[in-house]
Amino acid sequence: MALLRNSRLSRIGIVVLAAVMVEVISIVQYEHLRGIMQDEMNVRGRMMGRSMADVLEHTLELTETTMLENLWDVRRCMAHPDSLFQSMVRLIDSNPHAVGGSIAFKPYYYRSKGRLFEPYAVKHKDGSITVSQLAGPDHDYTLNEEYQWVLDHRTTSWTDPYTFGPDSLSLSSFSYPIKDGDGEIVAICSIDIDLTWLGDTLNAHQPLRSSFGLVVNDYGDLVAGPSPRRNSPDEVEQALSIFEGRLPASANPSISFQVSKLEKDPYWQVVQVYSIDETFAGLRKHGLQNLLLVLLGLAVLAFMINLYARNENKLRLASEEQARISGELEVARGIQQEMLPKSFPPFVYGSLEPAREVGGDLYDFMLRDGKIFFCIGDVSGKGVPSSMLMSVAHSIFRLIASKEERPAQILSAMNAQIARGNDSNMFMTFFVGCLDLYSGEFHYASAGHDKPFILTSDAQLLQAASNLPLGVFPDTRFEEHSCTLAPGTTLLLYTDGLTEAKNKARKAFGRDGMAPVLDAYLSSPEKSLKSLVTSLSEAAHRFAGEAPQSDDLTLLAVRFAPEDLLHEEITLRNTEADIPLLGTFMKDFLAKVEADNRVAAGIRLAVEEAVVNVMNYAYPAGEEGSVLIKADSNRREVRFTIVDSGFPFDPTTVLEPDTTLSAQDRPIGGLGVLLSRRLMDSMAYSRRDGKNVLSLTKFLR
Amino acid sequence: MTTTIQETEGKIIAVLSGELDTAAAQETEKALQPLLKSEGKDIIIDCKELEYISSSGLRVLLGILKQAKAVGSRVILKSVNDVIRDVLDLTGFIHLFEFE
Repeated sequence: MALLRNSRLSRIGIVVLAAVMVEVISIVQYEHLRGIMQDEMNVRGRMMGRSMADVLEHTLELTETTMLENLWDVRRCMAHPDSLFQSMVRLIDSNPHAVGGSIAFKPYYYRSKGRLFEPYAVKHKDGSITVSQLAGPDHDYTLNEEYQWVLDHRTTSWTDPYTFGPDSLSLSSFSYPIKDGDGEIVAICSIDIDLTWLGDTLNAHQPLRSSFGLVVNDYGDLVAGPSPRRNSPDEVEQALSIFEGRLPASANPSISFQVSKLEKDPYWQVVQVYSIDETFAGLRKHGLQNLLLVLLGLAVLAFMINLYARNENKLRLASEEQARISGELEVARGIQQEMLPKSFPPFVYGSLEPAREVGGDLYDFMLRDGKIFFCIGDVSGKGVPSSMLMSVAHSIFRLIASKEERPAQILSAMNAQIARGNDSNMFMTFFVGCLDLYSGEFHYASAGHDKPFILTSDAQLLQAASNLPLGVFPDTRFEEHSCTLAPGTTLLLYTDGLTEAKNKARKAFGRDGMAPVLDAYLSSPEKSLKSLVTSLSEAAHRFAGEAPQSDDLTLLAVRFAPEDLLHEEITLRNTEADIPLLGTFMKDFLAKVEADNRVAAGIRLAVEEAVVNVMNYAYPAGEEGSVLIKADSNRREVRFTIVDSGFPFDPTTVLEPDTTLSAQDRPIGGLGVLLSRRLMDSMAYSRRDGKNVLSLTKFLR
Repeated sequence: MTTTIQETEGKIIAVLSGELDTAAAQETEKALQPLLKSEGKDIIIDCKELEYISSSGLRVLLGILKQAKAVGSRVILKSVNDVIRDVLDLTGFIHLFEFE
């Protein structure tokens, strides 16, 4: 149905095309049917006319036969003129259509009977027959045209029909010339037959009201027709006039004729008249109904096509929408996974398994100034909305933790951002820790998150004030805790996706479920963080069995494992005279960690500049002070921490001088901080216990 | 840190050797006072033996450069090693001096 998808226009086009096609077919069909019906009507008309003509011919022949069969009787009776009356009675009695019989003699044939003699018998309606002598002073048959015609032509003749008698019978007479031995015509014998039935018979079985049959003679006179009750005389007259050519065919364009001619005297014609209008009225009515039905059908079809196309459209849009959403979820998942740490130093490992395409959990860590900053969080709810909040929280964490090193401050700053404009009332539990990888100094704060495990010789929960989750109130204060971890200590952070993983019996995995895995880890010699995390995750999955994962499952393990650490420190007075001591200290330490010469020179310069800065500005002029320089390294990086108890001063906020100015415009000072910052990988400042603590870190290899 | 100055063929040549750190900067600045009277002669600072320079050392060099430019002298740094070059590069000083 691809065609239907295109547009409403094409749908309309299809329906219109279908309508036109169906209508064309209907018209062709109508014309075809009309042709068939026309032929049928012609055949029927011809058949009716022919059969009527046959009946008429038969009646006429019968009458002629009656005449011939009675001639011997008539001739016999001519010897006794008075017996002719009875002969006439016998003549008409032997023919059912005969209503009268007469024999008219030439004048003075019988002297005794006077000039005219015409014995006559008449059959009445009730079937009785009476006789009379018809000729008289007021009836001179010799003046009769028919009588003369027969005499002249010496042959039989049928008269045109005429009306006769009290019943207005339509009669026609057959006349027969009777000759004597010399062949002289002496009398004309006639038999009158009633043709009143002819019109009725002809019109008894007409198929249509407006069709009727007529019998017409040579001169176009009406011999028989429908009764006035059936068809009005005007109607009959009009048809006859058109047939005769006395009226143009345009007087009634719908009239049509079928003619059957008698094949014997009197050669009348049977004319079948019918109206084309009425003949095809049924067909036209049928055709019209058909047309309307087809249009109705098309309208229904159009409606259905439209409905179907609309549904199809909806379905297509819905499935496109779904494809788009799942595509976007896939992208979202990709972004989310992308944001998660992908490579792990040996002292940290984490994993996140979202319950749906995207999840509301997060974990992350970053290494800075010899410290690891790590976090784990769980947004209320699952799916897209919680993952969006999670992404926002993740970005804020990375931004803030790159500058701020106190976990409670990190939580506060994150909370302020998340709680602002939090109309959907979402919140997230969060835990932030900062572990000094050299000293084991550990600072942490929790925003309503599950207490992590601290694994030393056994597994304990890390005690922490729970605080409110992030996003609840913008001004929540978070309590920070600190302790120093013993070497070999492992911290295990998790979300409730682990502890609340449920089996089919709705029982939760819980901390009890974790215990065996933690014990196994503690007793293992290699203490692999990766195997700890994956074992826990697998144990939770094994426990849940067939039950679907209901929540994101996130784990993060951090281990304080100082190995091959180098630590030295030196305390100087706040005088430039002590600078060479620093130079020696630096060169010695950097040699021990096998720093490349050029790198070592850069590090030494950076530290010297920072220290000189403290010497010059931290303490009031003339006042004695000291500056402590601690050097740490794990052979991969070095960290120098410069501690003084002078005025609070954060060199990381100092603006750098413009290094593109010309010699004349260059200020003399400000280069120290620039060099410190540029020569090292990171520079972090904090003020602790009334002291400025500045750390400078550089990766060696 | 030692500083020697000699004048040949109308050029003043200063040879720096050792580490020009903050502590040595003041002393070196004094030792280079003669360069401030260059009177239009080119000043060549030979850094072949210079192992280290701090921002204080840079300040000394900048002072000489400013003075020399005012009297139409050129200041050319000669035989600068990679460590020193890194520092000059980071601070933008590499664009101020001529090198040989």
